[in-house]
Amino acid sequence: MKIELKKMRHVYPTGDEALKGIDLVIEGTDPVAIIGQNGAGKTTIVKHFNGILRPTSGEVLINDENIEKCSTAQWSKEIGYVFQNPDDQLFLETVRKEFEFGPQQIGMSQKEIEDRIGWVAKLVGLEDKLDVHPFDLTSTEKKFCTIGSVIMMNPKALIFDEPTCGQDVEGNIRLRRIIEELHDRGKLCITISHDMKFVVDNFKRVIVMCKGQVLLDGKTEDVFTQTEVLKQSFVTPPPITKVAQGAGLKKTVFTTEAFIKVFEEERKK
Amino acid sequence: MSNVVLEVKDFSFKYRQTKRKALKKVSFQVEEGSFLCIIGANGSGKSTLCNALVGLIPHYFVGKMAGEIRVNGINVAESSIANLSSEIGLVFQNPFNQLSYTAGTVAEELAYGLGNRGESREKMVEKVKYVAELMRIDHIIHKNPLELSGGQVQRVAFGSTFIMEPKILVLDECTTQLDPLGSEEIFDIVKNLNSKGITVIMVDHDMERVARCADRIMVLDQGEVVAIDEPKKIFGNPDIVNHHIDVPDYVKITQALREKGYTSHEIEVTEEPTVELVKEALQA
Repeated sequence: MKIELKKMRHVYPTGDEALKGIDLVIEGTDPVAIIGQNGAGKTTIVKHFNGILRPTSGEVLINDENIEKCSTAQWSKEIGYVFQNPDDQLFLETVRKEFEFGPQQIGMSQKEIEDRIGWVAKLVGLEDKLDVHPFDLTSTEKKFCTIGSVIMMNPKALIFDEPTCGQDVEGNIRLRRIIEELHDRGKLCITISHDMKFVVDNFKRVIVMCKGQVLLDGKTEDVFTQTEVLKQSFVTPPPITKVAQGAGLKKTVFTTEAFIKVFEEERKK
Repeated sequence: MSNVVLEVKDFSFKYRQTKRKALKKVSFQVEEGSFLCIIGANGSGKSTLCNALVGLIPHYFVGKMAGEIRVNGINVAESSIANLSSEIGLVFQNPFNQLSYTAGTVAEELAYGLGNRGESREKMVEKVKYVAELMRIDHIIHKNPLELSGGQVQRVAFGSTFIMEPKILVLDECTTQLDPLGSEEIFDIVKNLNSKGITVIMVDHDMERVARCADRIMVLDQGEVVAIDEPKKIFGNPDIVNHHIDVPDYVKITQALREKGYTSHEIEVTEEPTVELVKEALQA
């Protein structure tokens, strides 16, 4: 899967220029995180990946093909989008029906749908809740229900918009497992998140957005090393990284183990 | 010993539609001007407890209740939500659940509770202006609350609780819709209110923030209070992670340095002391 944006701008009908000329290539299956403040353009940019929004100017290419003439329905088969607010997405009377709906729309066989439901329900932790009404789920379960119904469609790439919002420790562990399993199955996961701990634990590439532009784009370690540039986008590195930087350790670290290793190296000097 | 403003005694609650008790014999006291954080996994009873503290249980949610909650001496079950609103106010987890859905503008939404309380128009105008500026929503005061972004609605929800000037503020994950900068802004306001004597009870999943804000932390697990103590005691207890919660990263670093013998200092739960401890250990 290759997603490419060329000089892409998006201007909302209100006249707000949400994206100011983006050049970006996302390729392969390594999970990618997009971070930045509210209003930086994160959601606007990912909504172009599957045609929910169309560029005001510039191009969106998927696997080198311009998607201008393709319908949103066509692309949702390839690239699935999990909304930030589950209530924007859920509308049927059981979790099972939510899981079946998308695949049925794209003509997946009933047998394949049945085969997928077991795996997906287990992956998102709803195997015992398939006959429950989505509105009787807790807020976390609702989120996992929306994630499950997008995975059901078997898209090549998935976009998660703020999946960590309101999650507890176990919810975060489950999200991690979902992203790992999708990666193992050759899927590309693109995730918008405000949770820097979650970002450094799960993503090798980070794109930092600020005021409608890409401020930084690179390996997670390299991005969080650039503390001065990050300040412009009001992104603060996760706590372990900040302590290491504050104490003058030379390397950018994200885990306690890495912290201790770098600490020991510096101490010997 | 300062004044106890909130007293929860053997409080249990079971929602009508569920089998399991949401809260089991919960007991604790909160002193005036203190900052209590409540932590625990989703489903541990945090939001149920918040609802009970402000009287939504039993006056709105139906179920089986036992025990007693007193706010400034008032028995919550025997009072009314309206009467309690000047004593204790809740900012909801989902701000959309807090909107009145009758107000046409943000200003009306903010004034809604004051109107119910029968305040004069002059007072209402004055308070709306003050709260709108404080919450940085003065530029959207004439907008329809339903046209706002999640973050903006969260600010409106916070403002409409704060405008009632409750002596105790209960915050149930009240910044989930805001980005880190917006959240910090809200917590600065909360800390400022707390320093002026307002008692704060806050539910949050961000352990670094909890450790920074709280005088005391209460841990809930499956509806039971498993610990209530100051942050260093809570996070210094190695068994605490068995209750489905994480500890601040500062604790992990200082514990690792202790285990390896690089420091004999006690654990730290906030950033600055941790940085100092690491610097010291590097020199040693």
